[in-house]
Amino acid sequence: MVYIASWDDFVEKSVQLFRADPEKTRYVMKYRHCDGKLVLKVTDDKECIKFKTDQAQDAKKMEKLNNVFFTLMARGPEADISEVGGKEQAEAQPAKKGRGRKQ
Amino acid sequence: MVRLQPDPFLNELTNMFERTTEKGSVWVTLKHSSDKSKVQRNKMKTAGEKIEYRCLIRATDGRKTISTVVGAKDHQRFQSSYATILKARMTALKKRERKDKRKAADSDKKLDSKKRSSAAKKTSN
Repeated sequence: MVYIASWDDFVEKSVQLFRADPEKTRYVMKYRHCDGKLVLKVTDDKECIKFKTDQAQDAKKMEKLNNVFFTLMARGPEADISEVGGKEQAEAQPAKKGRGRKQ
Repeated sequence: MVRLQPDPFLNELTNMFERTTEKGSVWVTLKHSSDKSKVQRNKMKTAGEKIEYRCLIRATDGRKTISTVVGAKDHQRFQSSYATILKARMTALKKRERKDKRKAADSDKKLDSKKRSSAAKKTSN
């Protein structure tokens, strides 16, 4: 089992694995509340990469990865992910203009 | 293996997290799937039909397994509900100890600046 230390490396490799073989690649998450541990695994049954953590900040990063995988798997490997969170932020920012001072 | 609709699946997943608080794990697996057997897929390919893919989600607590499929249209709604459940339930992970890290970082910075200033003096001489 290959444990990857860097989160960004793990994300990049897992997307690569999926795009190379979307039929077989699966993304597994295991959470143990009693131990406070989270383990992520991505495998295509030939190669396997894992990431383990006990940090709350990694759970937030995992959320973004979840969104990426949901998009890829529901729409297909050609789906445009371009950092799923980034798109939402870009759309939300222009809406903040105009605090209603024109009275 | 129980196949559920997305909303009952999310409810059951929440229950799984509740049950495994003291002991046990929750596994969640995501897979890109057409939900059809290989034979059916080959037949559809030769017939020229387009195979619809979805996201298959499975969850287990080691005893009971539940699953659901989510299509391209509802995946965003599902993923936000799913994220809410995880955020609410994954509370056992360690929060970052900023004070300790800041102190360590500050002491490191002081050491670094001392080293750099002494190195600069040496090179200038």
